[in-house]
Amino acid sequence: MSKPVMLALVTDAFGGRGGIAQYNRDFLGALSDLGSMREIVVITRQAPEPVHPPESVTQLSPPRGKIAFALRALLQAMKRRPAIVFCGHLNLTVLAWIAARMCGARLIVQAHGIEAWKRPSRLRRAAVEAADLVLCVSRYTRSRVLNWAAIAPEHVAVLPDTVADIFEPGEAEALRSELGLEKRRVLLTVGRLDARERYKGHDDIIMAIPQLVSQDHDIAYIIVGEGDDRGRLEALTKAQGVAERMRFLGPVPLQTLIAAYRTADLFVMPSRGEGFGIAFLEALACGTPALGLAIGGACDALADGELGRMAAEADNLAEVIADLLSTPSAPTRGILSSSVRARFGRAAFRERVNLVLGRLAVPA
Amino acid sequence: MCGINGIFAYHSAASLPKEGELLATREAMRARGPDGSGVWWSADRRCGLGHRRLTIIDLSEDANQPMVSTDGRYVVTFNGEIYNYRELRAELAAEGSRFRTTSDTEILLQLYEREGVTMVHRLRGMYAFAIWDDVERQLFLARDPYGIKPLYTANDGWTFRFASQVKALLAGGQVSRDPEPAGIVGFHLFGSVPEPFTLYRDIRALPAGHTQIIDVAGPREPQPFASLAATLAEGARHAAPASELAERVRVGVSDSVRAHLVADVEVGHFLSAGIDSGALLGVMRDAGQSKVRAITLGFDEFRNTADDEVPLAARVADYYGAEHIVRRVSKHEFDRDLPAIFEAMDQPSIDGINTWFVAKAAKETGLKVALSGLGGDELLAGYSSFVDVPRWHRRFGPVARVPGLGWLIRHALGELAPGLAAKHPKALGIVEYAGSWAGAYLLRRGLFLPFELRKIMDPHLAREGLRRLRPLRRFTDTIRPDPRSRTGRVCALESAHYMRNQLLRDADWAGMAHGIEIRVPLVDVELLRRTAPVMPLLTPGAGKNALAAAPSLPLPSEIIRRAKTGFMVPTAAWAATSTGAASGAEPRGLTSRHWSKFVIARSSVAPTQMQAV
Repeated sequence: MSKPVMLALVTDAFGGRGGIAQYNRDFLGALSDLGSMREIVVITRQAPEPVHPPESVTQLSPPRGKIAFALRALLQAMKRRPAIVFCGHLNLTVLAWIAARMCGARLIVQAHGIEAWKRPSRLRRAAVEAADLVLCVSRYTRSRVLNWAAIAPEHVAVLPDTVADIFEPGEAEALRSELGLEKRRVLLTVGRLDARERYKGHDDIIMAIPQLVSQDHDIAYIIVGEGDDRGRLEALTKAQGVAERMRFLGPVPLQTLIAAYRTADLFVMPSRGEGFGIAFLEALACGTPALGLAIGGACDALADGELGRMAAEADNLAEVIADLLSTPSAPTRGILSSSVRARFGRAAFRERVNLVLGRLAVPA
Repeated sequence: MCGINGIFAYHSAASLPKEGELLATREAMRARGPDGSGVWWSADRRCGLGHRRLTIIDLSEDANQPMVSTDGRYVVTFNGEIYNYRELRAELAAEGSRFRTTSDTEILLQLYEREGVTMVHRLRGMYAFAIWDDVERQLFLARDPYGIKPLYTANDGWTFRFASQVKALLAGGQVSRDPEPAGIVGFHLFGSVPEPFTLYRDIRALPAGHTQIIDVAGPREPQPFASLAATLAEGARHAAPASELAERVRVGVSDSVRAHLVADVEVGHFLSAGIDSGALLGVMRDAGQSKVRAITLGFDEFRNTADDEVPLAARVADYYGAEHIVRRVSKHEFDRDLPAIFEAMDQPSIDGINTWFVAKAAKETGLKVALSGLGGDELLAGYSSFVDVPRWHRRFGPVARVPGLGWLIRHALGELAPGLAAKHPKALGIVEYAGSWAGAYLLRRGLFLPFELRKIMDPHLAREGLRRLRPLRRFTDTIRPDPRSRTGRVCALESAHYMRNQLLRDADWAGMAHGIEIRVPLVDVELLRRTAPVMPLLTPGAGKNALAAAPSLPLPSEIIRRAKTGFMVPTAAWAATSTGAASGAEPRGLTSRHWSKFVIARSSVAPTQMQAV
């Protein structure tokens, strides 16, 4: 009996940047590893970099424009007769629904973060309600989807983000000395600096630094990530008199990112809008303690406080940071790393993909 | 009869469940099982089960729960009674099974081990249970075909939880209180919360007659294993002649009562002056219960009036040689108990007050178990709905099928006859809804009608709730396959909605609050199977006459005549006046509307607004 074919409609995957592309790569890669599909045909809206998909994955070059994308999706659905249509973004659900209907395929819809928290248009809602399986990155995103979708709760499952093996504890001094941060207590945030959204909480940390310094914490704060909010944040650090303690690294290559995680004494991201918060996992996997707010998907990444600290929105952030920096009983970096991997590592992710696909009972 | 609960962290990302949560949920059900308690954890502590016990069968501690199979593979936590457990036990023993206890609980373990999920077809009774399989690492949940016993589940995407009560799940502290619009709208439509919904998005009832499997991949969709409509349709295919009617009812009821008397403690009786409970008392006597303690509620308002049930009930008790216990209830006691009633009320309900007091009286008498005539009106066409629903459907159906006409008439009446709209708000909807069986039933049972909802709640909440609830679709599903008779359709609708969501839920919370197991012999699948072939013949009156004639000493005809005219119960009026919302002198329907508003407001955790989505 031959294995089924999957058609994946995604914003970006192999060759893309950002959390959603990463998630799609992880998901499609896990399917490839599991060998449960004969072929996975991926159509992306964009692919800025050269493409190296894994075995059994074919990523077609991105069509120009929405209409070309839609036509190609429907054409592929007719030609390849996939048993499963995977829709990687809520914006593509209506197209994916039609494609699945055309060839009698099962429909999987992926929900990430903010895009899935608000009720979508009626048509998109209908498409989601028609899905055989809705995958959500976190319990919170799942609860928000269930708020607006009249769909059997058993059809809405959580498939959390996963962290790559390359994020692990290791040498940390080189970057520290390069940045001139010896002997300082280093805070780190990794995330986009978006002038419109501003939910990551950079401001809150910058505002907390003066109080920490006044309590003899020799703080430095590294901000990794690109975006149009950087100028405003830099101005804020000057106004707070902490500019000298700041290191804006901008977008960095992977090795620098890993080094930054290892260098940090504490990863802090008091974000109010995480669908999941992959950066928490990456920090923890590098053995760095993490702090976030008990809001949204961050609760999942921090495992309700069992992997990292969850502060309440009303808490004084400086006090929580001070407390964490002076906690002597923190687990070693190795223990922290292996406990995050037990929940969110590659093996756990692959197993979960296998389990949720098993629920579809797809005919070959 | 007990309280059950459990937590299963099925997702590999989930934290281990906390003992504190398991116990908090269990102890919130203390009243359900005052005689004992237990917990069980899997070796990896990802699954924990809890139990609070009310001892009725096998009073020994060996029968405590959760109960583990001899080989340690299966663990059960069980609420309810398996009335045919002695037969099953004999059968299993003949096939070589050995037993450590004389409980019905152990039967579940052995049956599941032998037959897997199909074991539910062998059970006669009221039940909700969970069986953990330590090898397959999965939970198996089941709930009886009528939904006599409750079972609520909650899945947050990582961890699955279940309990006998909604409030117990909330007491664990880990389940979201985000509102479920369908549950809120359902309460306003019907005066009780229709399953599978609750007031909370993340808490659902396992539907009656369903099983569910939860394994490491998470909960699977609940699967139906029994359908009242299918049983009725099957009966209609083998229609029996009118000459068999009386005999089928007699044999069916006698057999059911005998089955429902299985217990290692005394079984009492709730006796009103109605035909159902009177006839049951006679059948109990036939089954060898010579000195039954029968409890009747009396209300001071009606003392020495024609509306007092007590004298007639006393005559019935005397007639069948029962020991009659009359418990007088006053408005003063009602007011005093009201806070406790709301505390015990698991989900908001506009009824159940009478059951509260009769169960309280039973507890004072020292009883743990009592039979009730609940279900007689559903099975034997006792309600006026058996006349109204078919009649409306026949009379207004043709007009209602003209598209848009019903809507037009409703709006025209609202404009032209505002007096009618104020006094009989539902009358406006008659042409709009009477076109289908589902619509006619909604018209009959609806406290409010869908078009009225936006006047009493946030319109967005009303719209979203209706969209998720789909009340007409839900009703239509319960008469599929078609029971093939008018009586059969109304029987299925009344049994699967009003009785299941209102009467049986009330019997559960109000009984359990006092540690009283209420058994309902007229709500029994075997009995339904026996009467289904004569269901088309059970015209209003005929069914009740057959029931009255079921005891070897039939109910005297003057009692039947008097019982048919009905009696007054003051609790609705008390409720209305206690809330200050109504005078108590209005039509019953309007009183219920006021009371429903009070109940949902008092439901201490009731969400009134849906968060913006």
